[in-house]
Amino acid sequence: MFLLLILALTALCAAASEYHERLLLRPLPQNALLASFNFRSNSSQQSFDQQNFRYFPRSLGQILQHAHTKELHLRFSLGRWDAEVWGARPWHGAREGGNGVELWAWVEAESDDEANARWSTLTNALSGLFCASLNFIDSTRTIRPVMSFEPEGTHANASLQLLHGTLPHEVVCTENLTPFVKLLPCKGKAGISSLLDGHKLFDASWQAMAIDIRPVCENGECVLEIEQTVDMVLDLDRSKRPRADNPIPRPLPTEDLECDTSKPYHAEDSCYPLDKGTEPGWSLEQVFGRAIKGSCPLSTEWWGDEMMAGGKTVCINVDPERTVDVRSAKPYGEVKEGHMRCYQLPDGTDFDLELHEEVIPPIPLDQPPLHAARAITGYGQERGGVESVFTNPSLTETLEIVYLESLPWYMKPYIHTLKARLSPAAALDPIKETYYRPASDRHRGTHLELLLTIPPASTLTLSYDFEKAILRYTEYPPDPNRGFDVAAAVVRLVSGGRPEYLRTTTLLLPLPTPDFSMPYNVIILTSTVMALGFGSIFNLLVRRLVAADEVPPTPLVLALARVRGRVGAALRGLLRKGKKE
Amino acid sequence: MPDAPEAKNAGESPNANAAHAYGAAKHPPPDSWENILTRRLVLFSFWAVILFLGLPIWWKTTTIYRAPLPLHQMQDWADGKVCRLTFPLRIAVEAPSLPSQEAQHLLRTTQHALDDLNDFSAHHLRLLLSERPQSGQPGLDQSTENLTVDGLQPKEDIALFIRLFPGESGTTPRADLHPYSPTLDIFYSSNQIPSSSSTVSPLATFIATELQAIFNEEQAALSYLLSSTSWHPSHTKLMSPELAETLSRRKTRSFKYAPTYHLTFSLFTPTAVPSDWEIEAALDEYMSPLLESLSSISNFTVDTQTQFYAGFSPSISGPEYNEEKQAWVLQKSDLGGFINAAEWPLSPSIGAGPTINFILYVPSEHQTPLLVADNGGSSWLIPQWGGVQILNINGADGSSVPGVLTKDDLRPAMQTFSYQLLSLLGLPQSPNSLPLRISTLTRVHSASLIFSASSTLGALARLTETLPSISIPKKVAQSVQQTTKHLQQACTSLREGRFHAALENARIAEAEAEHAFFEPSMVGQVYFPDEHKVAVYLPLLGTVSVPLVMAVVKEYRSYREARKRAS
Repeated sequence: MFLLLILALTALCAAASEYHERLLLRPLPQNALLASFNFRSNSSQQSFDQQNFRYFPRSLGQILQHAHTKELHLRFSLGRWDAEVWGARPWHGAREGGNGVELWAWVEAESDDEANARWSTLTNALSGLFCASLNFIDSTRTIRPVMSFEPEGTHANASLQLLHGTLPHEVVCTENLTPFVKLLPCKGKAGISSLLDGHKLFDASWQAMAIDIRPVCENGECVLEIEQTVDMVLDLDRSKRPRADNPIPRPLPTEDLECDTSKPYHAEDSCYPLDKGTEPGWSLEQVFGRAIKGSCPLSTEWWGDEMMAGGKTVCINVDPERTVDVRSAKPYGEVKEGHMRCYQLPDGTDFDLELHEEVIPPIPLDQPPLHAARAITGYGQERGGVESVFTNPSLTETLEIVYLESLPWYMKPYIHTLKARLSPAAALDPIKETYYRPASDRHRGTHLELLLTIPPASTLTLSYDFEKAILRYTEYPPDPNRGFDVAAAVVRLVSGGRPEYLRTTTLLLPLPTPDFSMPYNVIILTSTVMALGFGSIFNLLVRRLVAADEVPPTPLVLALARVRGRVGAALRGLLRKGKKE
Repeated sequence: MPDAPEAKNAGESPNANAAHAYGAAKHPPPDSWENILTRRLVLFSFWAVILFLGLPIWWKTTTIYRAPLPLHQMQDWADGKVCRLTFPLRIAVEAPSLPSQEAQHLLRTTQHALDDLNDFSAHHLRLLLSERPQSGQPGLDQSTENLTVDGLQPKEDIALFIRLFPGESGTTPRADLHPYSPTLDIFYSSNQIPSSSSTVSPLATFIATELQAIFNEEQAALSYLLSSTSWHPSHTKLMSPELAETLSRRKTRSFKYAPTYHLTFSLFTPTAVPSDWEIEAALDEYMSPLLESLSSISNFTVDTQTQFYAGFSPSISGPEYNEEKQAWVLQKSDLGGFINAAEWPLSPSIGAGPTINFILYVPSEHQTPLLVADNGGSSWLIPQWGGVQILNINGADGSSVPGVLTKDDLRPAMQTFSYQLLSLLGLPQSPNSLPLRISTLTRVHSASLIFSASSTLGALARLTETLPSISIPKKVAQSVQQTTKHLQQACTSLREGRFHAALENARIAEAEAEHAFFEPSMVGQVYFPDEHKVAVYLPLLGTVSVPLVMAVVKEYRSYREARKRAS
C-alpha cells in the first residue's frame, strides 16, 4: 500500500515537473537573423512550497518565497526593434522590455507599506542573483500601473499588488547572461541553450532576455511555471566574422567591401552597400560560433503546437524551396510545412544547420499593428516637451491602446499641456481615460497612464511640456553631462485577444549641471564678502579716528625708519670718505 | 650693492632721521575715558558673543554623539570577572525496589565517590532521589511526565535519569544506557547494597565510574572551551594533547551556533541521469526524526534541488582510472576543489542563519565507481560548509544509472548525511545516547555563546576607547544593556542548572551584542580630512579673527602704556 502511494506520488511529480525548450530562427531582410529561444519548466505548487526544487531554480524559488511574490516578470533588453524592416515583434512584444532592466511583479501584501517592503526585498535579492543594479529600483522608480498589465497566471488571492520598476540606465551584459543560463536545467551544456554565448548575444542589433514566473492552475491543480526567453536579431555579416583573428570587432578593409559601383557617388572613400538580391548563406556554427551540442534529454514535448510534436525543438522559418543542409552524426527528425521546418535534435552529438546564398523570395513577414515613436522637444535648461507619435497602419480597424509613462521625479510634466492631435483630424477625443499620479520630490516619480483610441489609417500625436528640476549636489551621477535616462513608455494594445505590447525607445534628458567645485568656491566667496563687511564695521567701532599727522607711528614704521636711517648714515659716511680721497 | 640708489634717495630725503621726525610729530589729544570705555565694551561684547554663543554652538553642532557605555562592566565581562561558569548537572536516581532509607544512603555514598572522581570543579554531578508512584520495568522507556524530583525542576533540566533494578540474571552490577532517552538502567544484586554503616560500596563506586565515563567527553569539551578563552578558572583540567587536538578539530569543523540552520540537499550529476529522486519520502523517513530531536536547540529548514550537467572545476585534475581497484579515483588533494563553486548553484539560502549543504553526486556511467584514492571512501565532510557523498549506483539491469533514485537508493546517503549533520553541528561522539549528546551540546553552546557575547562586548569597549571620533548611537547603548542583562540571566540559569533557559538567554545576549557591534551607523564613520576642515574654516574664521585679535592686542598695549605713564 505504501509502495503504491509512493508510486502514485512519483507519477504525480513526473507529471507536474516538466521542461521544454524551443528555438525559432527567422531570416529577416537586410542580412538580419532573428533567433528566438524559449525555455519553460514548471514545478508543482506543493513541491515548491516544500522547497523541493527540480527543474525550477532553487535560488529564484527561494527569492519568490521570501518576498511573497506570486508572479514575476523580469526583462533585460538592449537595442531597438526596427519594426519597419523586421515586421511584427516576436511574442507580440510580450516578452521584451524597455532598454535596460524592467521588472514587474504581483506581490502578496495586506498594506502598501508591506508591499513596498517586500518589493524592496525582491529587488535586492534579484540584484544579487542577476548581477544587475536592480537594488536601485527604489520608490522613485516604482509605480503601480492600473491598466497596462494583467496577471498571466491564475491567482485566487485578492490581496495582490502590482509593482513595476525600471532601470533605463542599466547596461545589460554578459554578467547578466551567465546567471540566466545557470537557471536552465541543461545549463548551456546541451540542447539549444548551448548556442547562448555572451559575445554573440550582446553583439546583436537587438536583444531581449525575459524571465516570467506565473502560477497556472488547471482543474484545481496548480503548477508554478517559469519561462525564460532570449530573443535576438543578429547582423549576419557581423556575426560571421571569425572571432579568432578578429577579437575586437573592426570594420572590413576597404578592398573587401561589396559596393554598388553603379552609383554615381561611388568613389574610393564612399561605398553604397551592394544589394545582390540574394538571401545570404549562413550556418549555426558561423553565426553562433558553435553548433548545437545535441538535445537536452530533460526536455519533453512542447505542447500546443503540432509542428513541434515528437520533440522537435529547432524550427527555421524559410521559403519551402530553400535548401537547408543538416549536419549531424546521428539520426534526427524533420518536418516541413509551409514556411516552417522543424527538427528534432539528436542525442549527444553536434547538430548544425547550413543555408547557402540563394536567389529566393524572402519570407513574408507579419506587419506590426502599430508604430510608435517618442522624442524630447524644446531647448534650454529649464523646460522641455515630450512628443509621442502613434500610427495605426490598418485601413479598417480602430486601435485602442494603453500608454504608460513612468517619469523620474526631476522631470515634472505639466498635465494641462497634455494634448492629443489626430491626423487626419477627427471629431472624437482620442484620450478616453487618464490616470495620473503626480511626482513627489525624491519620493516617487510621475505615473501617467492613458487609454487612447486611434482611428484607422491615422496618426495620433501626444505631447506635453515638462519642467526640469535642479538636483542637489550629491544627487548627480558620476557622468551628469551625458544626460539622464528616461524609461521607455509601455504601449499595450487592448484590441486583440492576447496581450500585445510595444515599447518606445528610452529618452536622454539633459539637466542643468553645475560645476562640481562649486561648494568650495561658494564658501570662499561668501567668506570673503562676510569678512570684508565684518572687518569694516568692527574697525569703525573700535578704531579711534585722529588727524593724519596725529597718527602715532606703528612699531613697523618705526623699525623701517630706523633701518633707513642707519643705511643712510652709512652711505653718507661712505660718500664723505670718497669725497675726501 | 643693489639697493645703493634707493639708499641714496633715502639719504637725500628730508626725513632721513625718521625716528626723530616722528618723535617730534603731533600727538593726538588724549582719549577721553568714555571713549576708551566704549571701545573696550565693544571689544568685550564681541568676544563675549564669540566665547559664550559661537563656541558652544560650534561645539554642539560638530560634536559626535556618543551614548554613555558601561565600559568597565563590558571589560569585566570580557575578562570573565563577572560570571563564574558552573555546570551543576542534576541526575535523578530512581530506586523503586529499595527502601527510602537505603536509597538515601546509596545516594550519599555514590555522591561521595563521584566527588572524589571529579577533578573539574566547574562541572559537577548532583544526585537527587526521585519519587515515583509506580515502578518501571527495565528496558522500557516509560514516560517521565509524572516524575517529581525534589523542588520544582522542570523535567528537561534533569540531565540523566538513573533507574535501579534488582538484577535477575547476568552479571551485576551492570549498566545499560538507552540510546534514545536520557536514561541509565543499573542492575544490581541485593548483596551489593551498601550497609548503613559502610561508607564504600562496590555498587556506589560502579555507578560513579559509569557516570564519570558518560560525562567525561562533556567535561573535556567544556574545559577545552574554558581554557581557550581568557576566563581562566584556576583549576582547568590538564588534558592530553591528543584530546585537545580532537576537540580543536571538532571545533573548527562545526558551525557556529545559530538559532536557525538551512539544510540544502542537492543532487548533482554530470549528465542528465538520474533526473529525479524520491527526496521527499527519503527526508521524511531518514531526516525528519533526527531534526525533530535536534529541534530543542535549533530550528531547521530543508530545501532540495537537482542539478544536471554539473562539471568539475578546471582547477582539479579530475578522476583517474585505477586498474588495481577497478575504479575511478579522486586524489585527496582534489577533494577541496571538488565543489565547483563557480558553476554549481549553491548560493546560501535567503534568511538569517547559515546554510548547510549536502551534496549527493552521482558520477556519469563511464566514471562509475568513483572513489577517494586513499581510503576507497565515497563521502567526506567540508568543515563549516557541508558534506559530500558520491553515490555509485547501477540500475536494476546492472548496466546504467537509473533515471530515478528511489528512497532505498538514497538510504546510505541519508545515513551519511545525518552523521555529517551531527558532526557539523558539533555534537560529541559519546555517550551513546542521542538525548544526552544533545543536552551536552546545549551546555557547550550556552557556554560558547556567553564567551562570544562577552568578548564582543570587550571588543566594543576597546573600539570605543581607541576611536574617539566614532559616534555611538543610543541604540548601541540599549543593545549593550540588553546584552549584559541577558548574560547575567544566562549565567544565573547555568548556575541553577536550567540549561535551556541559559541557552535562550545566551542566544539573545549574543544577538544583541552582535547588533551593538555591527551597528551600521557606527561603522560608516564620517571622515573629514584636516585639509577639508582648513578649507572650510579658514576663509571665514581666518579673516574675521585677525582684526579681532589685533584689536585686543592693541587695546592691551595701550592699557599697559597708560598704566606705565600713570605710575
